[in-house]
Amino acid sequence: MGENAMRTEAVITTRFGESKQPVSAVLAGPYGHPFHPILVTVPIGAWVCSLVFDIGSQFVDHPGFLNKGSEWLIAIGVLGALVAATVGFLDFLTIPAGTSAYRTALVHLTLNLFITAAYVLNFLWRHGTYQRPEAVGGGQLALSIVSLATLGLSGYLGGKLAYRYGIRVADEGVQEEGFRARTPDSAAPHQPKST
Amino acid sequence: MDVAALITWVLTALGGFFLLATWVRHGGHRQPSSSRFPPALIFGHFALAAVGLVVWIIYVANGSDALAWIAFILLVPVALLGFTMFARWLPAYRQRGTLTGAAQTATASAPAERNFPVAVVAGHGVLAVVTVVLVLLTALGVGGR
Repeated sequence: MGENAMRTEAVITTRFGESKQPVSAVLAGPYGHPFHPILVTVPIGAWVCSLVFDIGSQFVDHPGFLNKGSEWLIAIGVLGALVAATVGFLDFLTIPAGTSAYRTALVHLTLNLFITAAYVLNFLWRHGTYQRPEAVGGGQLALSIVSLATLGLSGYLGGKLAYRYGIRVADEGVQEEGFRARTPDSAAPHQPKST
Repeated sequence: MDVAALITWVLTALGGFFLLATWVRHGGHRQPSSSRFPPALIFGHFALAAVGLVVWIIYVANGSDALAWIAFILLVPVALLGFTMFARWLPAYRQRGTLTGAAQTATASAPAERNFPVAVVAGHGVLAVVTVVLVLLTALGVGGR
């Protein structure tokens, strides 16, 4: 029984370590420097700004420029999401199947695919009114709000994968390197001056 | 025609994702590995095909002829790398045919690509060829966009 428990423990530890290593350092980023977290800033930023433009278009006098800008931002976000998804997929492959981290990643991946598909639909929906100098329609605005809210949920799961499960994060032994003092003097606790 | 190419390209990519996942799950990316696919070969194929797909999506959205040709030019090395992998996969596939079920799974040094389902390899290859042909015809302006 005890031996089985030790064997199970060893399997978990080994598989846990696999998810910290890149499948391809060139494409997914070297150890401790994954590319996926920085790539997702493009779709997140573009889609957040797109919603700001959508809302702004409801209040300004000549909303055509915000309508067009919002559509551009949706397109930029979709392309950025595809690039981020490609790299994210490589990180997904490092996670052992049947684990909590794998299930979380699968939900994160699936939600992101639906969100990107929703933005593609949103883009096509708006495309017919691209030249009209009017505010963004209520339906398109509502779809953007739902998509962005879902992106928030998916982003939360992405954060859980990185900060709770440590996917593609350097192990604690490596992290300790950043907390070593340069000299014994500087490592000493601060002593108040005696008068 | 451009949308047809987009559909076949996405289907091809799905097959490719599955094959890459199978290769990684069986340790093909680990060094040392008995895989006959060098990482640069499989990841180069993957990256160029992904960039090409993004270029093709932009082409479908805006219709620039230059983008159609860039996508086709990107597909040339993708196809060459794909054929190279196919040629390197065949020996592993033939070797699998000579082993019985238990022996297949028990072979610790078996290359990761031996686990590729034949139907997925065939489907990926056929759809890839169809995609290249459709992209070329679209770039040439044959049959309209």
